[in-house]
Amino acid sequence: MSDAYDQLSNILVTRFEVEPEELRPDVTFEELELDSLFLVELGLVVQQELGVKLTDDDATPRSTVAAVAELIEAQLAQAS
Amino acid sequence: MTYAAVLCGLGAWLPPRVVVNDDLPAGLNTTDEWIRTRTGIRQRHVAGPGMATSDLAVEAGARALKSSGEPLVDAVLVATTTPDRVCPATAPEVATRLGLSGAAAFDIAAVCTGFIYGLGCAAGLISAGVAGRVLLIGAETYSSILNPLDRGTAMIFGDGAGAVVLRAGEPAEPGALGPFDLGSDGHGSDLISVPGGGSRQRLSNLPESAMSRYFTMAGREVFQHAVLRMAASSHAVLQRAGWQVVDVDRLVAHQANIRILYQLADHMRIDRGRIVSNIDRVGNTAAASIPLALAHGVVEGTVQPGHRTLLTAFGGGLTWGSTLLTWPGLTLCDPPAHGTDR
Repeated sequence: MSDAYDQLSNILVTRFEVEPEELRPDVTFEELELDSLFLVELGLVVQQELGVKLTDDDATPRSTVAAVAELIEAQLAQAS
Repeated sequence: MTYAAVLCGLGAWLPPRVVVNDDLPAGLNTTDEWIRTRTGIRQRHVAGPGMATSDLAVEAGARALKSSGEPLVDAVLVATTTPDRVCPATAPEVATRLGLSGAAAFDIAAVCTGFIYGLGCAAGLISAGVAGRVLLIGAETYSSILNPLDRGTAMIFGDGAGAVVLRAGEPAEPGALGPFDLGSDGHGSDLISVPGGGSRQRLSNLPESAMSRYFTMAGREVFQHAVLRMAASSHAVLQRAGWQVVDVDRLVAHQANIRILYQLADHMRIDRGRIVSNIDRVGNTAAASIPLALAHGVVEGTVQPGHRTLLTAFGGGLTWGSTLLTWPGLTLCDPPAHGTDR
């Protein structure tokens, strides 16, 4: 998987108490029991740690981890 | 000669009626667990029928005066979102009921940042020599403006009051306040508001029902603003004081939501163990939240003399503010009960 997926996975495990064995590219935030407020929090952490802005439309509880990783990847590519 | 404002008295009061999550209206369609995981709140206190913000303010103010050891002050400031009346201010009546007729008295309207703005005003009055001692009270009865069926606010806010006495002193003393960072951004004035009841509604020629007198809040947007503004404001005062983040022994932030407090601490890289919080017992009490959290912290021993303490808040306006102090030795009189009230 991409660097962004690894970075996002790392944030989910270290900052949001997600169990590493539950993490798969096709798992949704909802399935990880992460609610819409969590996505606001994730937006703050991603902005601080990766310098990427996620909007409300980018990520919903029904988004998969891989889909959000792709959004981050795309923004990182744009910035570089 | 320039004086510093030094904290020398602290008091708090909560109305006796406790509403636990399971007691909230069934129409909210929520559960105790949902509220606790989303906000950290287990219960809130609610003013009884016939009570007003001034009643809570007088109780907290009397305790702060007692804690300071002297009954008189030169100015009484009441920070509130829920004044007794649109006009006049609540502070003069509170002052008189505390035996302080004749003192300067006015209200401060900065919503959840009201207490920090009040500290800034009080410090200004003291350092300019206008007042030697100031009583600052944060008092709220949000139950009077909440829509009981609004899922974004009804379970979050509670009633309560907290107060401090400040006196003129030396900048190096324990309890001396400062530096301050205060700010605002009116672009966000619709994010936290009571649309009705003011001149905008009265002069609009629209029926009163078109603008609600209920409190409204755009929760998710406010969440992000709260974390980022409090973090930036906190960094500003730390930098001005020459403190490092690791110097902060206690983070006493506006008790809006436990998840905001955690994100703020994480964002600033302050250990979560240094957060002082009582939101589980009182909910969000707006302008009263910081002195109430301090009072609970002192009673429970989490706030101790010598602790380098960061106070920061964010609220409607939008407004934000921060200040620093080294916690002084203070005795509370008749403090609020700690632990579970019920």
